[in-house]
Amino acid sequence: MSLSVAHLPQPATTAGLNVSGPEARALIVATLAHIALIAALSIGWAWAAKPLPPADEITPVEFVDIADAPRVTRPPEPSIEAAPQETTAPPEAPPESQPVPAPTPEALPAPDAKPEPEPKAQAKPAPAPKKPVAKPLDTQTLSNLINKALPKAKIKSLNTSDLAKTIEAAQPKNAAIDPRAAATLAQAIRAQVAPCWNPPIGGADVRRMTVLIGAEYRADGSVTSSPRVISQTGVSGQNKDYARAFAETARRAVLRCSPLKLPADLYPLWKSVEINFDPEQMT
Amino acid sequence: MRIPFIFATALLAVTPAAAQLRVDINSGISQPMPIAVPAMPASAPANTAAGTTAELGVRIAEVIANDLGSSGLFRPIAPAAYTTIVTPADVLRPQFAAWRTVAAQALITGNVTANPDGGITLACYAYDVFGGDELTRQGFVTTAAGWRRAAHKCADLVYSRLTGESGYFDSRIVYISETGPRSKRIKRLAVMDQDGAGHRFLTSGQNLVLTPRFSPSQQQITYMSFEGNRPRVWLYQLGTAQQQAIGQFQGMSFAPRFSPTGQSLVFSMAVGGNTDIYTLDIASKRLTRLTSQPGIETSPSYSPDGSKIVFESDRGGAQQLYVMNADGTGQSRISFGDGRAASPVWSPRGDLIAFTRFGGGRFAINVIRPDGSGERQLTNGYQDEAATWSPNGRVIMYQRSGRGGPPSLWSVDLSGQNERKLRTPLDGSDPAWSPLLD
Repeated sequence: MSLSVAHLPQPATTAGLNVSGPEARALIVATLAHIALIAALSIGWAWAAKPLPPADEITPVEFVDIADAPRVTRPPEPSIEAAPQETTAPPEAPPESQPVPAPTPEALPAPDAKPEPEPKAQAKPAPAPKKPVAKPLDTQTLSNLINKALPKAKIKSLNTSDLAKTIEAAQPKNAAIDPRAAATLAQAIRAQVAPCWNPPIGGADVRRMTVLIGAEYRADGSVTSSPRVISQTGVSGQNKDYARAFAETARRAVLRCSPLKLPADLYPLWKSVEINFDPEQMT
Repeated sequence: MRIPFIFATALLAVTPAAAQLRVDINSGISQPMPIAVPAMPASAPANTAAGTTAELGVRIAEVIANDLGSSGLFRPIAPAAYTTIVTPADVLRPQFAAWRTVAAQALITGNVTANPDGGITLACYAYDVFGGDELTRQGFVTTAAGWRRAAHKCADLVYSRLTGESGYFDSRIVYISETGPRSKRIKRLAVMDQDGAGHRFLTSGQNLVLTPRFSPSQQQITYMSFEGNRPRVWLYQLGTAQQQAIGQFQGMSFAPRFSPTGQSLVFSMAVGGNTDIYTLDIASKRLTRLTSQPGIETSPSYSPDGSKIVFESDRGGAQQLYVMNADGTGQSRISFGDGRAASPVWSPRGDLIAFTRFGGGRFAINVIRPDGSGERQLTNGYQDEAATWSPNGRVIMYQRSGRGGPPSLWSVDLSGQNERKLRTPLDGSDPAWSPLLD
């Protein structure tokens, strides 16, 4: 630091000094160097003196110092208006048998339809944890879908009363469809979504809580937009935060397990689905 | 891709309302949620007394990841697996697609800025990766040296947003640090952050000390000391290091705890061969006796609303738990069954009481409802005892000793999962968790 200062070009005015020739120059250089040195040292002192952390000693006073509450402020608003809308469908390799384009329930706003830039697959350095459902869509039979036990899914073996209940629940309200097709579809969806649902079962109110989520799907099995909460039970004035976290786990399950692998020919049946999340078998 | 969508939209106009399929899901998975807590970028690199803002960004992210991971509810993804580096712009507009590739469900990010007064501001953000939206955000202003507290506050914010319950990371533990041979054990009061950081000793070890407990304000600790060979209840002022006995009583006083208001103490005192429970108003020094049965009544602990006290008594032949009103009326036994029950402590939520269950030559930590129902065992060591609750009532810390081995501090969550050993410089016993720091 002081070395570089000593090599500084000399100032133009040396008139006030009564020394001449090389001596004068040497004196000026030396004076400047000293001033620079003192300045550098005092800057150093200022740094060292002001912000030194309190010595980490075994003193109770420090405890109180640390106990000073951080003030709470509001960080700046993001400059963009909202979180980007994204597609979760695999970007590459369209399914070998592309299903016939089918009606989507709502028009996609053109400007938001831009997909996020996906990271290069080759650049992935470490083995990423496997996504629960990530294989590209292919034509599989309905029975294959149902029989395929997904890992970690604790699916109760189907008994007849369950099946009857499922069929009843799956019965569409305003259309005559094959109840068996609806029941098997419901089971296929359950088998794919349940392994993505990680409910907060430690909560005190979990036993009374359920949430009904509405989700719209594209023909490729991907969710069209953010799933919505249709209704929720077990919410009280005291557990609002917990209820919100609970509902979000259901919503996250639908998003994480998109796209669903479901038979394309039944798309009109599963285009719009209501999923009731109830952790009764986990508590 | 655009053409099919337009085609689909056109079709929609002529398709009647679709039938609604309903699916019931009755179980899911119970696994720690994978989260990403990348190093926080320095938007305006600067020096602070605790390092550069970039260095702090790295260390703060580590503290947050450690906090959340220690709860057992979250699994921080190893930074080596990340496929993206967070830039200052990413803090407000994360690369969600990149975080999805590593299966992170939540992203915790932020930045550290140096303040003109030498302090720092930590801006803390949490995002739902698959939903692609912001969950919460909060700024924390503190001294440069207080960066760990800011990190704990951020972790508490994220914990409460994702679980719907209050956090517990910005809190401390007071405990007895032990060393030396069994016959000449040196026991000292020691205090540390809940993650073991900032450890310091409060007493020298000249006198035997036992059962330290925090005041609700976290500024005082009450404990029992053998100072002057007179076992008595003492108070330690953390701000001044002042220690004082709470009074000159006839007998030995022990097992102290603060009331929820912090204005009085409840403890046991042995007078004339009978040990009973007393309260002491700290300001007026007024002493009130709550129990009068023959036998030993001890280990009193208030319910969080201050209306009731749980304690242990051997009036029925062996130690069992009893609950009474705060004025000593309405005493009733709540623990039954084989073995003995001791050292009860009421949860800060009020819904459970943790205690030590002796039976079959072992000590275990159990919980029970205040009405005596729903007892269940949480730990399964050889000798687990001296339970204390995290400020949110979700985690219990206790002391575990092996067969003839020294004690150490452990924690377990309310489901009996996620047992963890807390690292202490020496052996550790008798922990007490502080409330959340203000």
